Amino acid sequence: MEKCAKIKRLLSRYLDKETAASDTSLVQEHLDSCIFCKKELAQLVRAKEFVSGKVRQILPPDYLVCRLREKIASQKQAEEKFSWVAGMGILSRRLIPVPVTAVLLSLVLMILSFQQSASSYSLEEHMLSGNQTTLITAAGLILGTQS
Amino acid sequence: MDEDILYIEQFLGGEIRGFEMLVRKYQNRVLNIVYSLIGQDQESEDILQESFMKVYHNLKFFRRQSQFPTWLYRIVVNTAYDYMRRRKNFISDEGILEMSASAAKGPRDVLLTQEKEAMIQAALGNIPLKFRAAVVLKDIEGLSYAQISEILHCSIGTVESKIYRARQFLKNELFKLAGE
Repeated sequence: MEKCAKIKRLLSRYLDKETAASDTSLVQEHLDSCIFCKKELAQLVRAKEFVSGKVRQILPPDYLVCRLREKIASQKQAEEKFSWVAGMGILSRRLIPVPVTAVLLSLVLMILSFQQSASSYSLEEHMLSGNQTTLITAAGLILGTQS
Repeated sequence: MDEDILYIEQFLGGEIRGFEMLVRKYQNRVLNIVYSLIGQDQESEDILQESFMKVYHNLKFFRRQSQFPTWLYRIVVNTAYDYMRRRKNFISDEGILEMSASAAKGPRDVLLTQEKEAMIQAALGNIPLKFRAAVVLKDIEGLSYAQISEILHCSIGTVESKIYRARQFLKNELFKLAGE
């Protein structure tokens, strides 16, 4: 029975003609004398034939080629469109920062000048007062928050 | 020079015809593998198309360390696996019922063929996915264990084990069918 277990493990490979020469003769010898392993082999043959007997699907010769041509063409079209948009993107990436930076800078300057004029204690007044100028005082004066 | 290599060279040289020749040559083999793996007509064609699109985009990376069909089948099996992971309902009962229903419309021999087909497909569908590809590549496509091991990225011993286990499942399915 131990030998049967070993042979049964080899039967599938034997059926596919994938066993080493030594295993092939071992299996053949055993099959000559063992009805159980012979039956097992017959069942495996049936299982193999069951699957390999499957009807083959056949496509018309140009069916897939035509579908692929369409797909490749549409992909190429999309890629070209994308590259045009991307090209525009590069252009805009180069041009946009200049006006955007200018606008932002103007806004900051406008806010600062507004705050400066609104402040009751200007930089000039501070200089005339003779008080000590620390870093914090200077920053406050420039930003117009020091009163 | 190998015919496949000739077509590949043509394609890489800028002639789309080389790719189309490869498609014509392998489309039915690939379709049968995919159909045996997932068992759904329309989806099989979609996977077939997706696989060949991958070939189209990646043919320049084919290193010729393996044969072209081995490389192609690896793409096909992986594409089918991805699809099955996405869908998780590969051979549905509805699919099989649909096949039986369409069979009922045809003449008797067509009906028998289609019923048998549905039975085979159902039996294949009951084999766990991890074993199914090995037995399909062996029994449908007739590949060697060495080729299958390359396609499935595993050892020959593992291929043997997968085919053995798949056939054990098939044996049981056949017992069930015989009992009905």
